Amino acid sequence: MVKLQINGKTVEAREGEMLLAVIKRQGIEVPTQCHHEAIEPTGNCRLCMVEITKKNWDGWKKSVTSCLYPVEEGLIVETHNDKLFEIRKTILDLQLARSPHSDYVRKMALDYGLEKSSYPVEPDGDDCIMCYACTRICEVLGKSAISPTQRGHQKVIAGPFGEAPPDCIGCLSCAHICPTDHIKWNDKGQTRTIWDKSFELIACSKCGKKTITREFADYLIEKRELPANYFEICDDCKRQETAEKIGSLVVRAREATI
Amino acid sequence: MKYRYQVIPELCTGCRTCELACAFKFARDGKPGRSRIYPLAHAKDQYVPVVCFQCDDAACVRACMFDALRRNEETGAIDVDYERCVRCEACVAACPFGCALVDTGFDEIVKCDLCRGNPVCVKFCPESALRYVEIKD
Repeated sequence: MVKLQINGKTVEAREGEMLLAVIKRQGIEVPTQCHHEAIEPTGNCRLCMVEITKKNWDGWKKSVTSCLYPVEEGLIVETHNDKLFEIRKTILDLQLARSPHSDYVRKMALDYGLEKSSYPVEPDGDDCIMCYACTRICEVLGKSAISPTQRGHQKVIAGPFGEAPPDCIGCLSCAHICPTDHIKWNDKGQTRTIWDKSFELIACSKCGKKTITREFADYLIEKRELPANYFEICDDCKRQETAEKIGSLVVRAREATI
Repeated sequence: MKYRYQVIPELCTGCRTCELACAFKFARDGKPGRSRIYPLAHAKDQYVPVVCFQCDDAACVRACMFDALRRNEETGAIDVDYERCVRCEACVAACPFGCALVDTGFDEIVKCDLCRGNPVCVKFCPESALRYVEIKD
């Protein structure tokens, strides 16, 4: 156990834990965009910045991203002050210039009193804030189908060479994790389209309800050694089947006792 | 102290009180379609309450690529960790009993978590077809 001070309160934390986890456990709200429990922290959005110091640092203070900073004995952490407010405000100001149409960014910026960006606004700017949550979740999944391509202001998240990613399995993890809902997808009839790639959705062999994509099911069957027949019918029909199976056992048991 | 959730289908009359209790507890609007327990008819007027089996080697846990489904050692149930879940619906597709569900109202994956060790359906079942019994060693 490690003892540290957060906003004047002494708290305990496990060795190797990141500062952000401890701060959140204390019920203190620090804004984050790129943070998600399922993926490794990378400190991309930099909104979770906190100020740290120690007793023997002679008053020196350091601003660090709390999602990437492991806890240390005797650390004195400040999560909200004027300097940190300005840092977060500047980040959101820049994001507002990049993604002026994103409701997510606009709402966050409004909390910092920003209605309009003070930087030259990109009028056609998309909603991607380059947090890389999508690429990291794809990595956790074991596919790494998408990645940042191009350089500088042309940088976008896309498949290799900006084409439809061959490794994508259409699981929609990236679309769901995206904080700004920038990643667009649609399910039309039997087909799902995401990243300019089309997938066939499995239709329940009994009722025709669409479940996940064939590619995703095949991936789970192979990677997690799940039987292939689990994926053939939908959850509603599987429940009915379960009821019928158990029901037949009940009936058989009743007949045996008579 | 360990408990086991028991379903005795012979005693089920299909009154659907468990479904309502569950829907009121979780969805708050009491819509039976948003329950985690389903009393389903297998023959005329014969019902089986279908609810998560909390399997030992669960397909949902295996299917989850993000470790969002984990066994709660205290209650014995498999819980969804909403901080980790990305709603890919792999568990819903994988569960062979159809007991991992999507709640369209909350846009969340839901499954029976035994109400964190205090199941409401058991309290409301008038026929004691649902029980939560202590395991004696």
